[in-house]
Amino acid sequence: MPTSDNPPNLILQKIEALGRGTTRWVEGLGFGVTLLYEAVFWVVMGRRQKQPIRAVPIFSQMMEIGIEAIPIISILSLTIGMMLAIQGIDALEDFGAEHQVTIGVALSITREFAPLITGILVAGRSGSALAARLGTMTINNEVDALRVMGINPIRFLVVPNLIAMVIMVPALTLWSDLVGLFGAGLYIISDLGMTTGVYINQTTQYLDANDVLHGLGKSVAFGALITLVGVVNGSAVTGGAEGVGRVTTQSVVHSILAIILADLIIVFLLTR
Amino acid sequence: MAFLPTQPAPVIEVTDLVTHYGSRRILNNVTLEVRKGEIMVIMGGSGSGKSTLLRHLIGLERGSSGSIKLLDQDIGKMTDYELNQFYRKLGVAFQGGALFSSMTVGENIMLPLREHTDLDEKTMEIMVRLKLEVVNLAGFENFMPSELSGGMLKRAAFARAVIMDPVLLFCDEPSAGLDPVVSSSLDELILRLRDALNMTIVVVTHELGSAFRIADRIAVLDQGEVLSVGTVAQVQASDNKRIQDLLNRRFEEERLDPDAYLARLTGE
Amino acid sequence: MDHQIKEEQGNHIVLLQGEVDLESSPKARQIMLDAVGRGKKILVDLASVTYMDSSGIASLVEAFQRAKKKEIGFALVSVNPAVLRVLHLARLDQVFIIHDNLESALNADL
Repeated sequence: MPTSDNPPNLILQKIEALGRGTTRWVEGLGFGVTLLYEAVFWVVMGRRQKQPIRAVPIFSQMMEIGIEAIPIISILSLTIGMMLAIQGIDALEDFGAEHQVTIGVALSITREFAPLITGILVAGRSGSALAARLGTMTINNEVDALRVMGINPIRFLVVPNLIAMVIMVPALTLWSDLVGLFGAGLYIISDLGMTTGVYINQTTQYLDANDVLHGLGKSVAFGALITLVGVVNGSAVTGGAEGVGRVTTQSVVHSILAIILADLIIVFLLTR
Repeated sequence: MAFLPTQPAPVIEVTDLVTHYGSRRILNNVTLEVRKGEIMVIMGGSGSGKSTLLRHLIGLERGSSGSIKLLDQDIGKMTDYELNQFYRKLGVAFQGGALFSSMTVGENIMLPLREHTDLDEKTMEIMVRLKLEVVNLAGFENFMPSELSGGMLKRAAFARAVIMDPVLLFCDEPSAGLDPVVSSSLDELILRLRDALNMTIVVVTHELGSAFRIADRIAVLDQGEVLSVGTVAQVQASDNKRIQDLLNRRFEEERLDPDAYLARLTGE
Repeated sequence: MDHQIKEEQGNHIVLLQGEVDLESSPKARQIMLDAVGRGKKILVDLASVTYMDSSGIASLVEAFQRAKKKEIGFALVSVNPAVLRVLHLARLDQVFIIHDNLESALNADL
């Protein structure tokens, strides 16, 4: 409450707000790191602490995150594969190099487009669902209820989701690779009159196992990020149902941001 | 306080508990003793700190100073592992029920058994149905929490809280938001649980009627301070002004500081 | 928890002793279910049971139901007040056949 001996100063207030915002970010970041550490702890030590990780919730999360996302991932990957082929041929035609389109398409799909599209889609579908679920559970005292039952919430709620994410996001990425290459192939074969055999030959010849692994490796990191961002946002909820809506939106924005930044950092470190 | 040899041993001992949120003092040197087998009602208006005190008692928050001993063990000094083991002796019924919405009522009640014991599936099922009988929710084990009314959710929460036969039971606002009939049936449930299972029960509430019906002793909390601890008659007979204000149902009203109020309204 | 099993006048007497809690109730359950399997009238003597939690009660319920299905007599003997209160809470005192002592249980013709 402002009192007379402490006059409100606009600049000071702005700086304070900035400070508070930064503190929140740093806090969130710190919480995320702790979360990851604790999650790994429960995976390794859970049984010894009489808090084992259960398989059933992992499988149900894998269904939700992975299997149910297959149709939409397939449609997105197919269209993006075709788009890349159209753009690639169009650009390369100027140099008369349109037959080289295969290499460009294959590399960009496996190294960037498939992991990014998959990551962003899963963040939108399942990262938001996680944040909403945790937010609701937090405001309904369900997380407190878990704690006073002697059930560690990280072990019970976060670890199954984390494990499902780091398995299913790469799995979806691999699927996205295949469908994307298939979509690109459809267009290239019909437009350039290339035979299916030649297209497959070229693709397998240009594509290194490392390119695919580069994409899959990144998608593991994306999966973990989606869980951590979802949990950090979800458990920071304040103010009822509206608050849950807010953290859900926020969680999607933050995880997409985190995925793209992580991508940049990994690419910078690995390919420079 | 005179110690009579006939009094049962204390099972909860709160000593000089102080808690700050930022620079605000929420709990101010709270000292409180709960004896074995009694129903202690912690009563106060909103902002009195009663919910915060409950969160401290069940180990969800830790104070700035002071100590809380449950069953002779200082919960502030326990490791996470020790605390998780200790929680088997504790039951908590949260205000809104806090049932997990993705599980049926039966699965909710069974969860502590599943996580902490190796009992046979059949034994666990019977235990769940027994508790549902006790809280008058027989036959609801396959319902989802969203299909239950507010009063039923609270009953189910009680069933879950006592599934491991705890020594201590904590209830947050058991009668809040319920009509008088349902509310008094919950009071009756609390009394029955204590009588049959010899539990020590701590109830946090702002409802005077409910407090007077169930309490062996009442602790009156106001602005983070324990104003008085005593039997219903003792508290009612108190000549403390703040207690009388509370009893006259004026505790939801804020004490007004005219200068601060004006400053707040004008923003100056 | 300890236990003894005796045969008397064609009855199977299961004597439980000590605390029947989450740790020991699986054992108590097995003992009673085994007794039901042998097909004689069963008397569960609770005189020396100092504490019984709801997992113990649940085991009694299960054994009683099995005995009923096989049309075998099943009764509780010498239930102490604490256990009786717990039975009463779930209205099980109206379900179980309860005898005050072994003698009256042996003389009853169920």
